[in-house]
Parts: sequence; C-alpha cells; structure tokens
Amino acid sequence: MSKRVRSGLLQRATSLLRNVTHREQDEREIAEEVNAHLSLLIAEKMRAGMKPDEAERAAHMELGGVEQVKEQVREARAGAWLDTLARDCRFALRMSRKNSGFTAVVVLILALGIAANTTVLSWISATLLNPIPGVAHTSDLVTVMRGDRSDHPTPPFSYLDLHDLSELTQTFSGLLGYHDDYMSLTGVAKPERIYGALTTANYFDLLGVHPILGRAFLPEEGTPGAGAAVVVIGYAVWQNHFAGDPQIVGKTIQINRHPYTVVGVAPRDFTGCAPGLRAELWIALSMDRDVWGFNRPDYRGIFWLNVLGKLRPGVTKNQAQAELNLLMQGIVERFPEDHRDSPSEISLDPLWRSPFGINGYLYKILPMLLGLAGVLLLLACANVASLLLVRSVGRRREIAIRLGMGASRKQIVRQFLIESLLLGLLGGTAAIVITKWTSHSLVAFFPPSTLPLTNDAHIDQGVLFVTIGVSILAAIIFGMLPALRSSSLPVQSVLKEEATSVSLTLHKSRLLSGLVVAQISLSLVLLVCAGLFTRSLQKAQQSDPGFEASHLLLASYELSPAGYTRATGAAFDRQVLDRLSALPGVESVSLADFSPLSFSIHSDYLQLEGYVPQPHESMEISRAIVGPNYFRTLRTSVVSGREFTEGDTADSQLVAVVNQAFVDRYWPGENAIGKQVTDGGDRFTVVGVARNAKYRLLTSPTEPVIYLPSYQAYSPTHDTTIHLRTTGDPRTMASSVEETIHQLNPELPLFNVNPLSVTMQLGTLFGRVAATFAGSFGLLAMLLAAVGIYGVVAYTTRQRTREIGIRMALGAEKGGVYRLVLGQGFRLTLAGLLVGTALSLTLTRLLKAQLFGVSATDAITFASVGLLVAVVALLACHIPARRATRVDPMVALRHE
Amino acid sequence: MTQEQTNLLQGTLDLLILKTLRLGEMHGLGISRRIEQITHGTFSVKTGSLFPALRRMQEEGWIKSAWGESEANRKAKYYRLTKAGMKQLETETAKWERIVLGISRTLEAS
Repeated sequence: MSKRVRSGLLQRATSLLRNVTHREQDEREIAEEVNAHLSLLIAEKMRAGMKPDEAERAAHMELGGVEQVKEQVREARAGAWLDTLARDCRFALRMSRKNSGFTAVVVLILALGIAANTTVLSWISATLLNPIPGVAHTSDLVTVMRGDRSDHPTPPFSYLDLHDLSELTQTFSGLLGYHDDYMSLTGVAKPERIYGALTTANYFDLLGVHPILGRAFLPEEGTPGAGAAVVVIGYAVWQNHFAGDPQIVGKTIQINRHPYTVVGVAPRDFTGCAPGLRAELWIALSMDRDVWGFNRPDYRGIFWLNVLGKLRPGVTKNQAQAELNLLMQGIVERFPEDHRDSPSEISLDPLWRSPFGINGYLYKILPMLLGLAGVLLLLACANVASLLLVRSVGRRREIAIRLGMGASRKQIVRQFLIESLLLGLLGGTAAIVITKWTSHSLVAFFPPSTLPLTNDAHIDQGVLFVTIGVSILAAIIFGMLPALRSSSLPVQSVLKEEATSVSLTLHKSRLLSGLVVAQISLSLVLLVCAGLFTRSLQKAQQSDPGFEASHLLLASYELSPAGYTRATGAAFDRQVLDRLSALPGVESVSLADFSPLSFSIHSDYLQLEGYVPQPHESMEISRAIVGPNYFRTLRTSVVSGREFTEGDTADSQLVAVVNQAFVDRYWPGENAIGKQVTDGGDRFTVVGVARNAKYRLLTSPTEPVIYLPSYQAYSPTHDTTIHLRTTGDPRTMASSVEETIHQLNPELPLFNVNPLSVTMQLGTLFGRVAATFAGSFGLLAMLLAAVGIYGVVAYTTRQRTREIGIRMALGAEKGGVYRLVLGQGFRLTLAGLLVGTALSLTLTRLLKAQLFGVSATDAITFASVGLLVAVVALLACHIPARRATRVDPMVALRHE
Repeated sequence: MTQEQTNLLQGTLDLLILKTLRLGEMHGLGISRRIEQITHGTFSVKTGSLFPALRRMQEEGWIKSAWGESEANRKAKYYRLTKAGMKQLETETAKWERIVLGISRTLEAS
C-alpha cells in the first residue's frame, strides 16, 4: 500500500469517526452554512436591484430547497451508509415486533436448525479439533503406530525401541512414550483408583504443558534404573485429595502403596494425550517396577508404550513415516528375536484420528452427523424462505408504494435482506442458548464403564464465530429469494389491484411449490438416514453376541495395589469364587481379566503350532484369562473338548481354549484339540473349542480369541472381574456380593459393580449416538416439512376461495373440492418423494461403512420412511382441504 | 444564464473547485460565481451539487474551511486548498489533459 493511499484511508477514517461522534454539531454546521449561503444569495440579488421579497424568492429558487441541499450534503458525508443501515435496522425491528408471532415461529425454526449444527460442531471442536485439552497447537504432533489400522489398537513400542528411534530420528524434534493404566492413590482418607500414565521424561516438555505448580520431569528422572520416585499430579487430584494445598510440591504421597514425591501439579485442562480418556497422574516410566512390579523398560520384546512425535518444522508426515520405517527396519534386523511375529510397518496419524482414545471412532461419525445437521439447516432455510414468500405477498402494497415513491430496487432488496439478517441472528442467538444444553449431551451416552471417558464439549470461541457465520449465511440463503422476487413487482398493476384478492402469479407459486418439494425431499433424506442408523443399531443389539448378557452381575477389584502376590492373589480369588457360589440366588460364578463389550480385553503375541505367519502378519491375538466355569456362567457353549475346571492349576498341565474363529483362521479343517500355543515362553495345550463371542464391538466381525485359565496364567496386576449369574434381577445381588468380598478383605475397593447388560452399552455407544441424533434430526425435519406443505397449501387455497365459491355455486360436490385441494398437496408430496428418494440413494452410499446388518439401500427403510412422509404430508394438507369444503359460496362471492 | 449550459462531467467538478481555490480562499457562493464567470456561463454549479462536493473534498483532506466575514459583513464559510489538495489538483489536471488528448486524437482520426 502506498503511503499516499494509506494517508487517504486514515483521513477518511478520521472523518467517519468525527461524523459519528459529533453528529449534532455537524447538523448545526450544515444548517448554518446553508443559511449563510442563502443570505449571501439574497444580498447579491438585492445589490443587483431586486426588492427584498423578490430577492428572497429568487434566492430560494436558485438554491432549490434548503432541506434538499442539507440532505444531499448528509449523503455526501463519510459513513452515510451507516445512517441508512441504522434506519433499515430500526425498520426491520419495528416490522418484527409488529408480527411477533411470525417472528417467533421463524426464529424457532432457525434456532433448531442452527443448534443442530452448533451442537455437533461443539463436539467436533472438543474432540477432533482440540484432541489434547490444554495443548493449543497439535498440528505438528502425530501418533506413531505399528501395523494396520484397527478398531482396538494395542500399544506398539517397547521402551528400548522408542529410545533407539528417538536417538536416531532426524525428522522429529522429539518422540514421547506413555502407558495409560489405573493406579491406586493410597495412604489418603479415601483410597481411589485413578487413571494415570507412566511416561518418558520429555512428556510434558514435548507437549508444551507447563505445570501450574512445581515442575515437570527432569531428563535423569526418566532413565530406567536411575529414576526417582516423583509424580506430577492432575488438578482434580490436587483439589479433591489434597484440598488444593499450595505447599503440595515436595510432599510425599502414596501410589500403589509406594511413596512418591510430588514435583508438580498439571494445569486444570490437561488430562493426558489419549483423546477422550482422562488421566490424572503422571509417573516417569522408569518407576514401572514400583507401580506394577515388573520392569518393562528393560525388555525390547515387550510392546507397551503409545508414542507421539513432534515433527520438525518443514517435515511432512510422509517423510517422517518413511524415515521411521527405515530406522525400525534396522532395529528389527538387529534384534530379530524380540520382534518376531510383530508388525514392522509404521504409520503416522494426526491426532484428530489418533488410534488411541475416542477419536479413532468419533472421526468417522461426527463429520457424518454434521452433514445431516447441514441438511436439516438447508431444510429450515427452505421452510423459512417459503414462509417469507407467502408473507411478502401481504406486503405487496407496501413495497409497491415504496417503489412508486422512488425507492430503488437495491434499497428494497437491502431492506429485505436486513430483515432476514435480523431473523438469522435472532435464530443464531437462540441456537447458542440451546447449544449450551445440548453440547453436554454426548456425555450422557457414556455408560458406567471401566474406561475413564471424558468429554468437555462447550461453546468455545470457534463455535461461536461459526454460529454467527452460519446464521448470516442462512439469512442470505432464505432471504435472497423473497427479496429479489418482491423488488421486481410491477408497481402500476399492484397499486391498481387495490383490495381485489389477487392470486399468486404463476411464477411465484411455482417457486413456492419448488420450496415445498425441496423440504419434503430433504426430510426424506434425513429420515432415511435415521431409519438406516436405527435399524443398524437394532440389528446390532439383536445380534447374538455369543454369550447371554441378562442376569449377569459384574464386580471388579485389583489385587496388586492391595499388596497381593501371585500366590496370595490366586488363593484370594479362589476363596471369593467359593463364597459367592454359596450365596442364595447365584446360579454360577466365574471371573475374568476383562468384561465383554467394554474395550477391556487384552492381547498377546502368540506362536502357534503348525502355523507359519505371512511376512508382516501380526500374531497379536485377543487373549482372555478366565476362571473355572467361565463358559458355563456366560452361557457360551464349548463345541468340542472341555472348559476350564478347578483342576487346572499351576501344578497341572498348561491348557487353553480357543474359539471357532481362531480355528478357522489358523488351523482350518484341522482338529485343534491337542495343539500347542506358546505365549510369553509358556506352552499351552488346547483342550477345548468354544463358540464365537463378541468382546469388542457388536458390529465388528468375530475375531480369534484364546482363553487361558486364571490359576495358570494368573497375574495380580490385571483387574479381576467377577461374573455372577443370578436367578433374579442381578442388581439386587450387588450388596451381598460387596459384603461377601469385604468379609474376606475389608480394605479392598470394589469398582464397577453393574449388570453386564448396562456396561455392554459401551459396545454400541457410537451406534446409539448416530441413531439418536439422526433420529431427532429426522423427526424435526418431518415436522418442518409438514408445516411447510400445510402453509403453502393453506395459503393457495385461501387465494382460491372465490374460485372454489364459484365452483360450488355451479354445483361442485364437496368431495370434488376436497380432492381438488388434496390433489395439489399430493402432487407436491409425490414430487418431493421422488426427488428425495433419488437424493437418498446417492447419499446413503456414504454411510455404508457405518451400517451393520442393513444395506445402504435397504428397501424396507426406504418404503416405510416414504410411506410415513406421504401420510404426514397428506394429513397436513387434509386441514386446508376440509376447510375448503366448508366455503359458503354466498360469502365467498360477496367477499369481493 | 445561457442556453448552452453543459452538464458537468462526472469528476470535473472537483477539478474546477480545486483550480478555483488555487487563487485563494473563497466561500461557496464565490466559488460557484467564479466558475460561471471563467467558463462564461458554460458551467453553472447548483448549490445541491456544490455543497456535497465541498463536503466530500473536505473529508478527503484536500480543502479546509473556516468561518469568516464576507465583503458585506455577512457570516460565510471560507474554503482553502491544503497541501494534499495541491497534489490532487496536479493529479487531476494531468488526468484531464490525458483525457482531452485522447478524445481529440479520436476525433481527428475519424
């Protein structure tokens, strides 16, 4: 920008400011100057020899009207458009107050349409766009994963592999590793199980998170073998357990009954870096032995760390991926024993689709919901546009008069658009109020579970700006048509029409019909999507999971933090099972280190007798540790061989049960009984084959699972979950189960005591979210479309009152009149259904991957939704049709 | 006023006012009479065009105004050229000359 132009702009800006702030003084100046000019003129005329009154008249003639001159000066002054705008706004406000009922309806429709979008947006903002709360810039962070993308990723790296990669990489400014798990905060008034993380020392520094008290870890604190017992606690832990003690840094707290020195308190927002999971304690991973009793950092073959990397500036994801793959290949070649059977291919993902945490699921369904909300808003716009068009007919005279008085077409369009903008912004404001409630609704779908799911969706600045933008955009969409249409009125004929009731011009009624067809077709699209999601959810819920979920009570405890060893833990479990099975109302009882459909099953790398893995094939297989009678308790039948019994102990032969999917995949057509499986150096002999059961998601295909008996593969570090089959309502057993266990150990905390039918809701979480929201969008859409078609048919019928009167006077039957009106509605509905079906057929293909058990073109869904829309639309037309039959020909004709 | 009044070309009014004010400060009526006089009545500036133009040019910073006394001891607002106005006059003059040159060339060619 040249200096000259800049100073010109500055000059105009100052003038504008002065004009706005010194309005009255400016008005006086203008008046004074015009008056002074007038008296100069008069003086001049008198000097030329005119008489005073003659001179005054001549002066006025030459001036051409004091007020007109003043107005022209006003229009020339900087910021004149501000005055016009203010005037238009005042007028728009007056109009909306005058038609408060109409305004309220339009604002409500818009508010619902916009709120649907802002609600989904607030979730997207809180999850996909801000994957790590408390870390503002995550665009250069990527997750580092090995193997194919899966629905249930397990940690991919050992500490030594991560350490080597960090040393060698040129494309990352740093790599951090963490392992999330539960820990117990002991030595406090009320011991609590807290989700926390073992991390590398650079964890906080690389993320750019600065503790609000104290410090993060020092590099030497992360060195295995030399680490110090230090902990950074989360804000909530600090507040809830230590009353926000400002002197907390330097004090000692107990985790899993070991003393740790608090070195820092994390910021309030920060909850770790697995999106959607809430971690509240951070310990350097060098302390693994203290917390869990084993020394995972020492083993290259134990993959337990999730890894996040910060890319160096200018490095692309692909370059970094290529480099890591090369480095990893080198490591695998140097240590082939430790990496046998594990995938070596490395993939990097941005955090919005991080395979760890909740984003791996949400990134598929949230954009889809936003698309549906967008369709709903489009429908709302079409609805409001048709309402405005109908109303603008009532304003024809007002507009014609304004055009006749010399208003330009541009001015009329501007006036209409400002009225629309006002409606849009009112709708947006109402939407924000609604979203304040609905943004929290995602959390309501989380069932009680062992996962520390968290979601902090709220209206942030981004959402607010987008809402305002969307409101304005919507206003332009729905306001433009009526504005353009109204501004091109033939002034003469409108004014001449006077009070005669003019029917709509053909053109306008075609436009209205188009808007109605659009509404019906869009509502069909939304209802079809809702129908598909609902049927998909039903199919999932009705599908056979391979176990019987009713009458099962779960209860979990964790023995290692309570001081149990392998031997004492196994003995305790045995006592618990004995006592519980003796309780009245208990049919059978068992235990497992996981529970079905709650994302809690573990996996191991296995070697199988007689099976040679493909190159790069991952032999990481789901592995369940279960107690005696597990299959009987869960009612999962064992199809051949036997299930585990009390006799499968540490002293007897190591045995395993596999499921049918396992046999089909690895030993197809062979007899699995008697085959050997090696897990972590132990060789297990397969003694039974069980029916397939689904443990992760109801909608994912069945996968191979191996079951190991708890008394042989026992580890006190895993949660133990009691599975209790009851004869009555499982809920009523909860207290006696707690009592029984507390008789054995009064100190042991029990958690997650819930019926399986409740906790397994987690397995359908995303299906329920999709079905519920698509469903409510669909119902809302149908309501809007019904109002839309009712409004237009009722309006055109009223316009035809005279015609109907004449028909009836000439002897038309009531039935004929009824059919006449309903026929109009029927034609619109039919057109809408056709367009909507075509649209749906194209769009539902995008949903294919999210559907379970129904095809994207499911005939039943399409047919029933089409029928529903047709019935509702015709019901809406029935009201004006009935009214038309009651027209009294005499009144209708006299009306003119 | 003569019959041959010509409608002012868009934008030329600014040039005429700037040129007039170059001679010294002047009130609105003075400017208008001066333009009529110089152009022998070819251009007559209507009050409804003059005052908005003066207003606009003031806001652009080309001219400044102050209240003063007229020849006949009457109150009047006097306008004078600023430095930016002088520059603007030069630019506008150059532009005008280019237009005139262009038009006369076209006329000669045909």
